[in-house]
Amino acid sequence: MTGMSLHKKLEENTGLLIFGILVVSAIGGLVQILPVLNQESLETPTGSTQPYSAVALTGRDIYIREGCSVCHTQQVRPLIAEVERYGPYSRSGEFVYDRPFLWGSKRTGPDLHRLAGKYSDDWHRVHLLDPRSVIPESIMPAYPWLEHAPASGVGDIQKKMQVLQRLGHPYTQEQIEAAPQQLEGLTELDALVTYLQQLGSAVSREEAP
Amino acid sequence: MADMPGDFWSGWIMVLTLVSAAVVGWLIWSVYFSPTPHEPEEELNEPVWDGDMREGNAPAPMWWFWLILGATVFSVGYLMLYPGLGSFSGMLNWSQDARVSNAYEHYQNQFQPVREEILATSLDDLQSSSGRMNTASRLFARECAACHGRDASGQLSMFPDLTDQEWQWGATAEQVEQTLRSGRRASMPAWSGVVEESQLEPLVDYVMAMDGSDSDQMPGRAVYMTYCVACHGAQGEGNVLFGAPSLRDDDWLYGGDRASVLASITAGRTGVMPAFNDRLNDAQIRLLVAWLTREQ
Repeated sequence: MTGMSLHKKLEENTGLLIFGILVVSAIGGLVQILPVLNQESLETPTGSTQPYSAVALTGRDIYIREGCSVCHTQQVRPLIAEVERYGPYSRSGEFVYDRPFLWGSKRTGPDLHRLAGKYSDDWHRVHLLDPRSVIPESIMPAYPWLEHAPASGVGDIQKKMQVLQRLGHPYTQEQIEAAPQQLEGLTELDALVTYLQQLGSAVSREEAP
Repeated sequence: MADMPGDFWSGWIMVLTLVSAAVVGWLIWSVYFSPTPHEPEEELNEPVWDGDMREGNAPAPMWWFWLILGATVFSVGYLMLYPGLGSFSGMLNWSQDARVSNAYEHYQNQFQPVREEILATSLDDLQSSSGRMNTASRLFARECAACHGRDASGQLSMFPDLTDQEWQWGATAEQVEQTLRSGRRASMPAWSGVVEESQLEPLVDYVMAMDGSDSDQMPGRAVYMTYCVACHGAQGEGNVLFGAPSLRDDDWLYGGDRASVLASITAGRTGVMPAFNDRLNDAQIRLLVAWLTREQ
């Protein structure tokens, strides 16, 4: 009896029906999404995760501009084969200063999240300028223009850092003021190599996986 | 359980989940088991089709009942066994962290006997086992070939040839292991601005002629003895402690022509070998040492 009269009430009152539909369809989000937005572990940096330096941040923007994440992921999945090949699997707290994160979804090339220290700076340079000079079978495109463009030309670094500061990245005023000076004399290639050489270095390999 | 939500959100999840489950239960009950769910009520004034067809006069299909009942039972069981209900970690105590580290441990244990055997075997015996050497050469292809080349003969006048005997950081098993584990960082300074411009050409002449017998009379020797002798030695024999290569042989990592030698002197050379201590395990390092120091 009660079931039927509630049914009738809902069906004859459009406003109530709309409200009911909204409540029911919101439950999934209320349970699954809302608590995660407040989950501390997603905002707490893992290991020695730091906000990007001015140079690394510029390198990251070049990484995005050149579309590196189209072919390279930045997430080592919690699977033996990946841990064995790349190193410790990626932790959520390592990406707190990534806006946006560059996890990627397709591996035409290898994963890059644990790249830090795997190769020397010199190797990265020759490899970015001409990949096949060191890996003959590589299908990666060459990025020769990086060598000539100044790193300071990649957007307004201070503005970027101010925006990130407003979003909660702990940059100090001194860091922001010193940023343009740090980019002085560097090429885009320098900045990109700096970015690549710190990728995934916040988690120690000793504590693998 | 580092990744569990805080108390308030934990309660929030539990209450919403359990209330939803209860509502679904009530829905099932009211549709199928409510005492008089479909009694015709004249005053409802509902539309009637084909004489007697009106809303609610046929029971909901039973497959639908079993589907929704099965799904509900499954989710309640799931929430009891696995983490999902707020901070309740489930009766099985399952976690992704534990799953990976258990699997990793199992994997490591599986290879432990082989690794121990490799570590207990002398380098000579490893070198004479073709199976072990095949493994080592695959390891080299995976970890080292990107710089030193597939055939280990070096690349680009930048990454050293490992098939010869001229190793700037030393070619004994101990030295090679040290190089693999800790990496190497060469630090030849840039001499432009220190060595006078006019002395550069004589210095290059001397360095390139060092293996000759009468080179001691050359004017560049005085410059050499001032700046270069500390690392490269009085006779240019080099010093593996600093990674200073011998200048007496015909082996030039960065090129042996005048322009390359001049560039090395004026701009310096700072080749870096990365450390592999944390990337490879002891057995892998031992295999590589055996492979790299084998007779070729």
